[in-house]
Amino acid sequence: MMRLETFSYLPELSEQEVAAQVRSILERGLVVGIEHTEQPDPYDHYWTLWKLPLFGVRDPEIVLDALEACRAANPNAYVRVNGYDSLRQGQVVAFVAARPERDA
Amino acid sequence: MFEAGVKAYRETYFEPGYEPASTDVLAAFRITPQPDVPIEEAAAAVAAESSTGTWTSVWTDHLTTLERYKARVYALEDVPGDPEQAIAYVAYPLDLFEEGSVVSMMASITGNVFGFKALRALRLEDLRIPVAYVKTFPGPPSGIQVERDKLGKYGRPLLGATLKPKLGLSAKNYGRACFELLRGGLDFTKDDENITSQPFMRWRDRYLFVMEAVRKAEEETGERKGHYLNVTAADCEQMLERAEYAKELGSPIVMHDFLVGGLAAHTTLANWCRRNGMLLHVHRALHAVIDRQKNHGIHYRVLAKWLRLAGGDHLHSGTVVGKLEGDRESTIAVVDLMRERHVPADKRRGLYFEQDWAGLPGVFPAASGGIHVWHMPALVEIFGDDAVLQFGGGSAGHPWGSRAGAHANRVALEACVQARNEGRDLAAEGADILRRAAQAAPELAAALDTWREITFDFPTVDTLDPAAA
Repeated sequence: MMRLETFSYLPELSEQEVAAQVRSILERGLVVGIEHTEQPDPYDHYWTLWKLPLFGVRDPEIVLDALEACRAANPNAYVRVNGYDSLRQGQVVAFVAARPERDA
Repeated sequence: MFEAGVKAYRETYFEPGYEPASTDVLAAFRITPQPDVPIEEAAAAVAAESSTGTWTSVWTDHLTTLERYKARVYALEDVPGDPEQAIAYVAYPLDLFEEGSVVSMMASITGNVFGFKALRALRLEDLRIPVAYVKTFPGPPSGIQVERDKLGKYGRPLLGATLKPKLGLSAKNYGRACFELLRGGLDFTKDDENITSQPFMRWRDRYLFVMEAVRKAEEETGERKGHYLNVTAADCEQMLERAEYAKELGSPIVMHDFLVGGLAAHTTLANWCRRNGMLLHVHRALHAVIDRQKNHGIHYRVLAKWLRLAGGDHLHSGTVVGKLEGDRESTIAVVDLMRERHVPADKRRGLYFEQDWAGLPGVFPAASGGIHVWHMPALVEIFGDDAVLQFGGGSAGHPWGSRAGAHANRVALEACVQARNEGRDLAAEGADILRRAAQAAPELAAALDTWREITFDFPTVDTLDPAAA
């Protein structure tokens, strides 16, 4: 069992729970980014970017649509949601929002 | 003409109304003079003896300009409820100190004066380190953000545990204890401070087995792990030899006891860590000898400031919820001093001065000691994400063993973070959040049954020192 990012010791997040976490990231004023990989490795920091981070996006539905598009295009991938803090100049949130079907 | 003889200190070193320069180092001292010593004279004596003065006039005073180098008492404050004490504010010109040297500050400001006969007791409450001086220190080798980036751990406090029993395990069994905790869900395990290199477990053997445990836990979980390998040693040569070996084995982090080892040794190690890309966990044995008494010694907020300057990526801070309950506001203020870029003065929290860290990286506070899974909601609420929560007994004391205990703590932590992000009130709903999470994690259910439920209605402000009111 791969433990990837925060919440990996909880049961897989439901769609509503993913949406709640996305709302929380946006409410904190963070920028959301989406990444995916089929072969996670604890020493690999750079998964594949799904387009650019969603600069200026405040509507959680836009993020959830992007997540769904990433998942549909990469059915065998882990998809993670990152939150970037431009004041702190770094990443402050990461959780996996989708796992490959084989992993379910 | 040189006039020999003893002059009252206050004639030279007491200047109420002096406007401190932005580059002055400022100190707040709690002074308890001997009964027949006026407070102004006692305060001036502290300023004098910690800067240019001595007990008598000397002819060589006239070869320099004391105005440029002397410290000044620029304010005195009563301590409410204690007529014997006063807070003296002293300004030190920056040139009194060596660049990038905590040792220099310690020798000057906390030198002779603490044994001065005219005083019954003396405590350094706080220190304002001016930005001009801060910029001469490299600070934490990595700092909070870089550590998160290196280890890929975001959006939650990190979890650790000190291995127990702290003395007496063989290296192989010690590695087993380490593996079980990391495999169960902790991010770090830790050497206790009194583990160095005893006959029952030499450091080299410990490092080998522990690093096997770290690597195997990483392979099996898919996440980065680490063990704070204590490199505190009898001398700096051995300290560095141990640090080099830890790096050679692939450890991401080493540990040092900064007060026991001394600030010079510590600064050497911090510099080595910075050069070698290693994280540095800092233990604080000896601190209570220095900081526990209210009327004498050095408050921990000063020791923590010195450590942030000298360098460290984690520093023990106290847990707030455990036995340090009475010190809640003061402890949280120290945590702010470790992590924030700028901390405003707030005497209600024991912060006598504003402190601007000028971009120096932050230090993770490590909360350790007597905490268990029921404390998790309070810890997440109090510390936020940027802390290392250390559950030693609270992991290995689980009825099914360390792996289950670690797992229980990780589930509890993630459930609290998730609930917090959803806008739920951890103080009011903590017990409910834990019980719900336990439905999917029998390890957590067993942990909740093992330890006593505690109340989550933590009080807002405990009474701090009335002097700071």
